[in-house]
Amino acid sequence: MRHRVRWIALCAGVVVAALAVVAATQVGTDPRQDSNKSHLLGKDAPSYDLPTLDGGRVRASDLAGKVVIVNFWNSWCIPCQEEHPALVEFFRRHAADPGFAMVGIVRDDTESAIRRYVDDEGVPYTVALDPGAQASLEFGTRGQPETYAISPDGVIAGTQFGPSSVANLEDMYAAARGQS
Amino acid sequence: MTRRNLAWIALAAVVVITLAIVAWPGGGKPSDAERVRSVGSELRCPDCESQSIAQSSTGTARAARADIRQRVASGQSDAEIRQAYIDKFGPSILLKPESGGLGILVWGLPAAALVLGAAGLVLALRRWRREPHLQPTDADRELVQRARPR
Repeated sequence: MRHRVRWIALCAGVVVAALAVVAATQVGTDPRQDSNKSHLLGKDAPSYDLPTLDGGRVRASDLAGKVVIVNFWNSWCIPCQEEHPALVEFFRRHAADPGFAMVGIVRDDTESAIRRYVDDEGVPYTVALDPGAQASLEFGTRGQPETYAISPDGVIAGTQFGPSSVANLEDMYAAARGQS
Repeated sequence: MTRRNLAWIALAAVVVITLAIVAWPGGGKPSDAERVRSVGSELRCPDCESQSIAQSSTGTARAARADIRQRVASGQSDAEIRQAYIDKFGPSILLKPESGGLGILVWGLPAAALVLGAAGLVLALRRWRREPHLQPTDADRELVQRARPR
C-alpha cells in the first residue's frame, strides 16, 4: 500500500513538473503571437481580380513579372492615415520603374468614403475595391494597414503588419527584387 | 458479492455510461450546412478578438464562411479545411488548441491530473477505512460516568 501511494505521489510530481516546464517555456510568450506576422511569407501570392476605383480591373496575372506592393487600407483607420505619406513617397520614388506596380486594396470600407479620401488626400497608385473581402481573406489579413511585397515570380517576399515607413517599404521592395 | 462491491460497480457503470453518452458522436451524417457551421465555429474570426467565423459579421468572416461552404461543396474534409486556414493564418486561427504536439499537453495534463487525483483519493479512503477505530477504555467510561449529571 505504502509503495502504491509513493508511486502515485511520484506520478503526480511528474505531472506537476511537466506543467511547470510548459508554463516556464510559455512565460512572456503571447499564445497569439503568430497573429502578428504573415504565414504567407515565402509562399505563392494569392490570385486576385478586383474592380478599381477608376472603373477598371486589376488582376494579379496582369502584374506578373513585376515587383508588386499590395497595401490593405481604408479611410477610417488612423494608422492607415499615418502611413499614407510614406506610401506616397515610396511610390513616387519607383513610379517610373516599368517593373514595379503598387495596389492599395480597400478593406472594410464604403466606396463613397474611399472616393472622398482619395479626392482629399490624393492616392497616386491603383486603388482596388474588395467588395466580398475575398482578397482580404486570401492574403490572410487580420486588419489594416497590412502590406505585402510580391516578387516578379509571384512569391510573397516581404510583409508588414501595421503602418509602414519608407525604409521598411524599401526593404520589402529589395527583398522582392532579390536584392536583400 | 458484498454490498460495498455492488456500490463500486454501480458507480463505475454510471461513469462509463455518462462518458459514452457524452463522447458518442451524434446520429447521422452532418449536412453541408452543419459542417460549414461546425468548422466555422472552430476557427477564430481573423479581424475580431473572441468570436468565431461562424458568429462574426465582419466582411472577412462572411468571406470565410463562403470559402468554407465552397470547400465543403468541393469535397474537402473538415481537417483539410482547418489546415488550409492554419496555413494561411497560423495555429492561432484555431479557437481550441490542437490535439497533437504541444497542444496534447493542454488536453492530456488536466486529464492525467484528474485520474491521478481520483486514484489517490480512492487509496486514501481505503487506507483510512482500514485504520483501527478507537475503542473506549474503562478509564474513559469512568470519566463519562463521573461527568454525567446525577
